[in-house]
Amino acid sequence: MGLDIPVFRAYQGSEPPRFASPAELECAKVLDYYGVPWQYEPRTFVLEQDENGRVTEAFAPDFYLPEQDLYIELTVMKQSLVTRKNRKLRKLRERYPDVRIKLFYKRDIERLARHFRLDLAS
Amino acid sequence: MAELAADLARDYADREPLLVGSLKASLVFITDLSRALPISHMLDFVELAGYGSAQMGGHEQIRVLKDLDADIRGRDVVIVEDVVDTGLTLNYLVRAFSLREPRSVAAVTLLDRPYRRLVDDLPVRYVGFVVPDELFVGYGFDLDEGWRHLPDLHVLKEF
Repeated sequence: MGLDIPVFRAYQGSEPPRFASPAELECAKVLDYYGVPWQYEPRTFVLEQDENGRVTEAFAPDFYLPEQDLYIELTVMKQSLVTRKNRKLRKLRERYPDVRIKLFYKRDIERLARHFRLDLAS
Repeated sequence: MAELAADLARDYADREPLLVGSLKASLVFITDLSRALPISHMLDFVELAGYGSAQMGGHEQIRVLKDLDADIRGRDVVIVEDVVDTGLTLNYLVRAFSLREPRSVAAVTLLDRPYRRLVDDLPVRYVGFVVPDELFVGYGFDLDEGWRHLPDLHVLKEF
């Protein structure tokens, strides 16, 4: 994608994060700016397995904030296209009820972008 | 305003709290709050560079544009916010102030959007209004520095 990745100070991870979208990069930069420790896709949650125990469906939220014990998932899809992601999130909450996760929709990200004057141009 | 002031007066009677306004948007709110607060208190201000403006200036870490004038060691500090949204700014202030060993740190906010919080466990003890996901201008709230002067709070239609 050719995103210009800065040096992060609050990032906790051994490998440089490989963001999937400009929105993820900007979210990381905001967290870093305010000194909130963050991790990128540190855990993949198994949602479905077949009879042989093979994973058939999984979900890796974009960010984890260890101090908040909170996962964050960003989606830049249109509201009408997020049904599949919502279903995954519902499964995750059913199977991992102790996991705290927040989903930020496109409109939420646009509001945050306006608030923080982010550059989300792809 | 009277209700918020009464709550603060009850909790901080005889403690002379230091009200810290987070500039710029809270300026009008802290002014009205101070005038409504019937107990002795002091005022101070802090200003942080917002993420957007700092990025344009090439800064990757938060910058304090104006620090407190007062020594807050042993004091009761009440941070006065215009709105608590993600909680990132307030979280920074609480952590920074806590290093200076105040007696207590709490926050009062005119508007609150708890559903947008990224940082929990914030000492937001006094809330004026929980508001929907709308843009506000006036009463200190701005859009690109405009509209702050409007005496009342207005919902800005989508643009």
